[in-house]
Amino acid sequence: MKHVPVSRLAMLALRQLMRDGRAGELRVLFFALLIAVAASTAIGYFGARLNDAMLLRATEFLGADLVLRGSAPAEPEQVKAGEQLQLQHARVVEFSSVVATDDNLQLTSVKAADDSYPLRGELRSAAAPYQPEQPGPGPQPGEAWAEARLFAALNLQIGDQIEVGNKPLQLTRVLTYEPDRVGDFYSLTPRVLMHLDDLETTGVVQPGSRVSYRELWRGSPEQLEAYEERIKADLEPHQRIETAKDGNRQIGGALGRAERYLNLASLAAVLLAGVAVALSAARFAARRFDASALLRCLGLSRREALMLYSLQLACLGLAASSAGALLGWAGQHGLFFLLRELVVSEVPPATLWPALAGIATGLVALAGFALPPLAALGRVPPLRVLRRDMLPIPPSSWLVYGAAVIALGLIMWRLSLDLKITLALLGGGLLATVILGGSLLLALKGLRRALSGASLTWRLGLGQLLRHPLAAAGQSLAFGLILLAMALIGLLRGELLDTWQNQLPDDAPNHFVLNILPADRDAFTARIEALSDHAAPLYPVVPGRLVAINGEPVRQLVSKESQGERAIRRDLSLTWAQELPSDNRLTAGQWWTGAQGDLPGVSVEAELAESLQLQLGDHLSFTVGGLTRDVRVTSLREVNWDSFQPNFYMIFEPDTLQDMPATYMTSFHLPEGKDRDLVRLARDFPSATILQVEALLSQLRSILAQVSLAVEYVLLFVLAAGLAVLFAGLQATLDERIRQGALLRALGAERKLLLRARRTEFGVLGAASGVLAALGCELVSALLYHFVFDLRWQPHPWLLLLPLIGALLVGAAGVLGTRRALDASPLNVLREN
Amino acid sequence: MSASILYARNLSKAVPSAEGELAILDDVSLSLDKGDSLAIVGTSGSGKSTLLGLLAGLDLPTSGEVHLAGQLLGALDEDQRARVRAEHVGFVFQSFQLLDSLNALENVMLPLELHGRPDAQAKATELLDRVGLGARLHHYPRQLSGGEQQRVAVARAFAAEPAVLFADEPTGNLDSHTGATITELLFELNRERGTTLVLVTHDERLAQRCQRLLRLEGGRQLVDESSQ
Repeated sequence: MKHVPVSRLAMLALRQLMRDGRAGELRVLFFALLIAVAASTAIGYFGARLNDAMLLRATEFLGADLVLRGSAPAEPEQVKAGEQLQLQHARVVEFSSVVATDDNLQLTSVKAADDSYPLRGELRSAAAPYQPEQPGPGPQPGEAWAEARLFAALNLQIGDQIEVGNKPLQLTRVLTYEPDRVGDFYSLTPRVLMHLDDLETTGVVQPGSRVSYRELWRGSPEQLEAYEERIKADLEPHQRIETAKDGNRQIGGALGRAERYLNLASLAAVLLAGVAVALSAARFAARRFDASALLRCLGLSRREALMLYSLQLACLGLAASSAGALLGWAGQHGLFFLLRELVVSEVPPATLWPALAGIATGLVALAGFALPPLAALGRVPPLRVLRRDMLPIPPSSWLVYGAAVIALGLIMWRLSLDLKITLALLGGGLLATVILGGSLLLALKGLRRALSGASLTWRLGLGQLLRHPLAAAGQSLAFGLILLAMALIGLLRGELLDTWQNQLPDDAPNHFVLNILPADRDAFTARIEALSDHAAPLYPVVPGRLVAINGEPVRQLVSKESQGERAIRRDLSLTWAQELPSDNRLTAGQWWTGAQGDLPGVSVEAELAESLQLQLGDHLSFTVGGLTRDVRVTSLREVNWDSFQPNFYMIFEPDTLQDMPATYMTSFHLPEGKDRDLVRLARDFPSATILQVEALLSQLRSILAQVSLAVEYVLLFVLAAGLAVLFAGLQATLDERIRQGALLRALGAERKLLLRARRTEFGVLGAASGVLAALGCELVSALLYHFVFDLRWQPHPWLLLLPLIGALLVGAAGVLGTRRALDASPLNVLREN
Repeated sequence: MSASILYARNLSKAVPSAEGELAILDDVSLSLDKGDSLAIVGTSGSGKSTLLGLLAGLDLPTSGEVHLAGQLLGALDEDQRARVRAEHVGFVFQSFQLLDSLNALENVMLPLELHGRPDAQAKATELLDRVGLGARLHHYPRQLSGGEQQRVAVARAFAAEPAVLFADEPTGNLDSHTGATITELLFELNRERGTTLVLVTHDERLAQRCQRLLRLEGGRQLVDESSQ
């Protein structure tokens, strides 16, 4: 016979697919792919848009998408370049100035802004100090807004006049929130906000004054990139560009973890679906052995037979993946509905890319997991038409496992788990599979001997498992993987939520206090203790600047735009402490040992140390109050920046800075409804600067609450996928069970016996899967905690329940999923004849 | 009601189809005493297997009634019918229907164990010996030839000493020589144990060996005759 053209094979494949459309295994295959693609598409969209949203949040902290900051006004060409690119523009000038009232003076930090400010986020103000805030446009010319603490310090009322330089301004509102000041805890002086048009008449800004000019820009990413490109080369030495990438740490950390979690959840969903695809493809293949043998008899070559079935699966895969992508796209809308507060409407609309990537994921999973069972169809001997017991030569196990591993690797890579993690997970998973699968096989063989004297129920229940130990081990591994994926995602969810909850407990500090004078220290401590149950200790603060590392000037050592560069450009808040702060953790070196070295010790925050390439034993020189202080790095510390506690880059050994003029800082939690006490505190300690961070805190809390909700939503998705796959796996063995059930019924077995046998079989299978899952889950979670989530790993004793959970879950699902086999009419035995 | 071991009256079976109700079996009656043998013959689609299914309580008629070992099957639920089968009925099928997961001995032990017989193993061993498979007790179905598998099936059918043995084309999947051996075995055991034998076949020679013959055509009973 001549070769059959591919087009004819394709038509035949399509026709057969239509006819087989109602076959159980095709539905399962379709459903499994649908879930995999929907999950990975939804999470793909979600991740991409979450990232955009995160950047947008960060832009809020700038008040713009891009800021050109300098100590002199921007060059007209720089402004013109932005306008030519049709970027939105706002201008802000900041300077320190003494504000005068009739009988008082106070140094303030003045911000003069035009009508367009802010370009991202919003200004908020209140009608009177410590009253509820409302959003709205900033002060008009002739008006000024001030922070509540200025009202307290100068005994001001709304409507009073203040003078900024030569310009009298009327106080119209209390400034409560500027988007671009939220994370800036260390602004020491109270803020006054005025209109830019009034700036000139103040006469404050003269050549040589210390002024910060900011050009704020907003536009599309392409416009901004073009703008940055255009002005970058000609930046003045005093100028620098800030973009969203200098994001906010607390939110960035939480969302980053959420995104990694979602990626893993997506991987788990793909893995689950992969298992279902493999199982249902095996059933697809087994059911077509006869047809394949017949086609071979009728003259189709091996290659053509294989092609025919591959085309069928490809059509099915494409249809299921497209439907899955559509479902995923709809699903992410649900996710965003949950996160509607977090993700502002201006998130750029989703592109087609995640949908296409989702479809690709589905096809890769299909190829990786379905190809090996499919390959068997090409190997069916034509003789099977005469002898039905002739089975195809099994494909080499390298093909079976290799294809799946390659597919998983590709999908992991697509989910942007980095190479190290991908290899660690794949390698760890493979190793665990081989070891656990091998032990299971041995255990099953041992069980056969033990079973010869067991009751009929046990022999019927376990007979099938023992007859095909390899298949039973495979099935147990598959169920084990399902349990593992579900347990792992559940485990990580708990861990993430706990981490976030710990990061922001209900009594997290919502006020920072700076500039507490040494003379006020004890009185202040007493007052804070009376006000709040949760106050941090008072830390001394001495401003100082790092000037040299090992004798070399630090400016020459540090690359631009790095964290180190930002740290050395300004004064750092230096402190000293006898004890390591409770939420810090040493990563290298030792805390003060009392041993006398040639220089006093300093403990450096680990990330800064990395950026400055500091090593233990390095010699650092600081200028503090005009004097130089030399210290040696004796330890590196990990600092929990998310904790809302005072944190320090540099902690000096006690008695190193004591002779320097220090002020103190602390943070505390002020319960709701004690605003009056706060006003009194501010009045009684006029030098102290009290910063309210409640706004930031509640913003962060609402973000975490919503991200937690998203995480739970995804967990539900994975659990549903897991259960679906469990049923799919059971469907794959249904044919054989129905036959067996019908035969036993014909021979007079009661339903009860069959039910007991099924329960025994699936209970044992589930318990074995649970053991595998518990061991695998601990192994994988240890890898993930270490490499991905930066969480400390501890054993999870509750995982010991997994064998029980597995026995119950797989047992129940097994009995439910194979109900048809229990109720199989004994007449089926005759029909098969 | 008669004292027969198997008694059927006006059995009819219809199934719904696109063209309305389709009668597969129409008004069949028969009565068998202990030790009788009956061959049900007819062309493919004449309703032979349907009748066998109804007589063995594997299915229920649309109308009419079946009494097996004194029990009216139509009045029992599926589990109760299963108990009647376990106590009084044995089967031999065309495609052997052994459980792949059990070896030859365990397959034969199965009905004895369903019966709760403590001597299941000894009895099964004896029967396998009787059918000439004493050396293959621990072989799995896949390791046995078609004829050997059917001999295991015959041993299983007689294991619980059923009152009635139903055989559905027992030689249909076997070559003529092996088929003849199995036939001999069936009739020998039938004689030895006084079992009532109901045999579905389209092999006229096999049918002639039964005492009675029931011929079906298009679901209708043409003749119920004594063949010997």
